[in-house]
Amino acid sequence: MRCAAAALAVALLLGAALARTALAQTPAERLARGVRAYQGLDYDSAAAMLRAALESGAAGAGTLGDSDRVRALAYLAATEFFRENRDSAAAAFGRLVRLDPRYRPDQLVFPPEVSSLFQEVRLGTRAAIITAPPLTTIVSAGDRLVLWVHATSYHQADVTLLRGNGVPVRSLYSGGIGDSLQILWDGRTATGAVPEAGAYVVRVDSRAADGRVSWSVDLPLEVARLGADTLRIPPPPPDSLFLPERTVVGRGTRALVTGLAAAATAVLLPSLVAGGSAGMGERFAVAGALGVAGVVGFQYQRHPQPIAANIAANRALRSPWERQADSVRAENAGRLRVVRLQIRAGASRVAGAP
Amino acid sequence: MRRAAAVLVLCSALAAGSLAAQVPRFLSADAGVSRVRFRSVVPGGGEVMTGVEAGVHVRALLGAVSVEVAYGQGRLSADTGLATPRDLVNGSFFLALQPASWLALKVGPHARAYVATGGTERWMLWESRARADGAIIPGMLQVHAEGWLSLSSDVNVAPGAAGARGGEIGLTLRPPQSLVWARLGYAVDQAKLKGGARTETVEMVVLAVGVGGR
Repeated sequence: MRCAAAALAVALLLGAALARTALAQTPAERLARGVRAYQGLDYDSAAAMLRAALESGAAGAGTLGDSDRVRALAYLAATEFFRENRDSAAAAFGRLVRLDPRYRPDQLVFPPEVSSLFQEVRLGTRAAIITAPPLTTIVSAGDRLVLWVHATSYHQADVTLLRGNGVPVRSLYSGGIGDSLQILWDGRTATGAVPEAGAYVVRVDSRAADGRVSWSVDLPLEVARLGADTLRIPPPPPDSLFLPERTVVGRGTRALVTGLAAAATAVLLPSLVAGGSAGMGERFAVAGALGVAGVVGFQYQRHPQPIAANIAANRALRSPWERQADSVRAENAGRLRVVRLQIRAGASRVAGAP
Repeated sequence: MRRAAAVLVLCSALAAGSLAAQVPRFLSADAGVSRVRFRSVVPGGGEVMTGVEAGVHVRALLGAVSVEVAYGQGRLSADTGLATPRDLVNGSFFLALQPASWLALKVGPHARAYVATGGTERWMLWESRARADGAIIPGMLQVHAEGWLSLSSDVNVAPGAAGARGGEIGLTLRPPQSLVWARLGYAVDQAKLKGGARTETVEMVVLAVGVGGR
């Protein structure tokens, strides 16, 4: 009895020591040790190490990447197969194909009976994953967001665009999916409208033979509206180039003085040029016309008057600029009508499982 | 002659409207009639003649430089006394420089002839002129004053020319947005023979209709 108790104590101590050692390892190291144990036909140790590697993520001590997780599940399934735990092996393969429907076992690593079990599980599993480029910009009418759906086996599926709160926006696909399917989204809702900026989800619902949803994955999208790249309206011609369009108040006096001075000159011109000459009487008519012109100019310019010639000249100067500005405004209006979307895609995640 | 001048002015006025659209902006032309008074003073006497002259004036503006050509012909008859009637012919060619928008300086030859049955008196003058323009109503009503002085003078009458000088004052009316305009002016020109043998004064009141740029 004492010997049994001592043996149990030693076993517990050894187990505790092994567990502490295992916890001290990283998931990648556990995966490597599990693979080595599998290759050394130590299936019990391999199973323990591989499970530890797969579950370590939940403990928060690091986690395996998707490719390592797929590798760990493949070795775990093979290990369980050789431990004659066929159900556990099938379960591991089931997790594997849901994680990566495109995975196929390496015939050089795993024997045919393991591959056969994998094929059996794959064909019996109805699941899919969805991927998209990390960043897509929809600028013109021909631009699309490219979505790829990869299925484990042929089954019916629905692909739907949802708002972040789950409200359906548009059905993107409904029908059978074999190996893979490319879906294009033009950045519009079911009504053809441009979606509001915000969080969206593309959901793939895989259906079982009886029609119920057996597997759902979500691809998160972050949709942003980009500001249109508009042209700058050309600056108008500088004010210094424009002529005054109205007469200046106060020039009336100048006009009057000019007219009267000219009239006086007409009267005195014979004396100035031909001293002593009396001059012809008709010159008084010219002098009168000049004097009247001065008075008319004085009256005319007491209030600002439009200067037709200057207005026409300014219009000729302004018109090309106005035509150019109108052209730019029309171009900008056209650009603003085209809504540009920027779509950031995340990693697909399981939304629902049986 | 008076009838011909009246017909010329009338035709000019009628044709100006249709010509206006076809005249380049750098070109202007006018045609008009002048009431002329010729007064010749000699020691101890003189004569006064009046008449009408018809004339044309063409101006081509190339930037700040312009070229002006003028020709006029008329008939003078004795106002008083027994002076022989004669034809008056004027022709000039001026090269003008416009240093400011309101100022033009001109130089060129001016020929004048009095053609009578007994002979022709010919004057050949090289003149320098200065012309100033001022607006009474901008773009619509404009006054101008012009003065000139002969740089050299020649006449085929003894004892020869002693120089000449003159001046003109006038008014130009241009309706808004129009290439047609009207000009009213008064000009005085006095030429002298050497030794004060004779002084000839020509006065003109001109009424013209023009088209094109100013």
